[in-house]
Amino acid sequence: MGDRLTQLQDAVDQLAQQFVASIHYINRHHSLETLGPGDQVRESNKEPEQNEVDPHPADVFKAAQVELAQDLITKEQQIEYLISILPGLDNSEQDQERNIKELEEELKVAEAQRQEAVKERKEIMGRLDTVIRSIRRP
Amino acid sequence: MADDDDAQNQISSTFPPPPPFWKDFTPDNVARIKDLKQEQVERDAADHDPASIRLAGLPHNLRFLQPPLPPDAGAWRVFGNHYTLNQTLPKLDGSGIQKLFPEPEERDQDGKHFDRATILKRLAKSLLLNFLELTGILSINPAEAEAKITDIRDLFLNFHHLINEYRPHQARESLISMMQSQLDRTRAETNAIRDVKEKVERLLEGLGSLKMDHESLGGATEGGKRREDLDGELEALLADEFP
Repeated sequence: MGDRLTQLQDAVDQLAQQFVASIHYINRHHSLETLGPGDQVRESNKEPEQNEVDPHPADVFKAAQVELAQDLITKEQQIEYLISILPGLDNSEQDQERNIKELEEELKVAEAQRQEAVKERKEIMGRLDTVIRSIRRP
Repeated sequence: MADDDDAQNQISSTFPPPPPFWKDFTPDNVARIKDLKQEQVERDAADHDPASIRLAGLPHNLRFLQPPLPPDAGAWRVFGNHYTLNQTLPKLDGSGIQKLFPEPEERDQDGKHFDRATILKRLAKSLLLNFLELTGILSINPAEAEAKITDIRDLFLNFHHLINEYRPHQARESLISMMQSQLDRTRAETNAIRDVKEKVERLLEGLGSLKMDHESLGGATEGGKRREDLDGELEALLADEFP
């Protein structure tokens, strides 16, 4: 899982793949129709896998179509959601630079405070140490 | 002779050996350049960082210890590849792809990026619509689908272009959030240390008052028994503070 921008990019690529997959499915599994009363669907004696078209039953085909269409819509909605949560849409470059500078200053202050606290801790540890050492059992 | 061998190795081995000047990085030389820089700082009487100073006229064996200046032209070569300081995103115009969004100058007023989000959403919807049209065309006359496929391709490329344009912005945004979390972490650590310190101080105060009692009582003749009581009290206090 990458950052949001990469997620968005991946989602768009997946949408493209879904386009191809949908067309491929329809192309491969549609039913065969006659154009006039005199025509008839020629029987093929090859294995189903080898035929150019491998018709699925009408209800299965319909259900698959619906599913593919729903998946496309879902993916598109995912993309829109990802767009709307892209980080920093309401920050301009100047805002960001100011923000970074402020944070840098605050970090310096906080780091100094931390160092000070560490020093204080060492002192107090030393004091505690002497006190503990000075306690003698009777 | 040794130089010839080095040159020979450099040509024949798959992975080139490190540049020959690595031999100059001896502890002595490193210490010397540090001293020289320190001297230079003192001579200038300016308070800049010794690390950033540049020395002129270094002796031969120290010359490589000073990193080279950044390239003036903003371009350099590493392992036969060219690199530039400013990596520009290739423009869509030149690559024969129809551009489907306005120039950066015309959108995103006040530097905000709401327009970009709107354009992206519009492109996403266009993609779906174009796909619907494509399936329609394919079902009627597949030979005419070519133009529609080009449209969809252009939409995708435009989409990617807009995404990649946004990357520097996102990088800065990530930096901000990382700095923020580091700040929070540092502050939390400071507070935790302070808390412990206060606890220990309270404990020491408690001990101090105990000790005073102890001394005042210790002088009394029946101190022996009392002492044990006090030590027990001390232990209880310690256990209380440091469970």
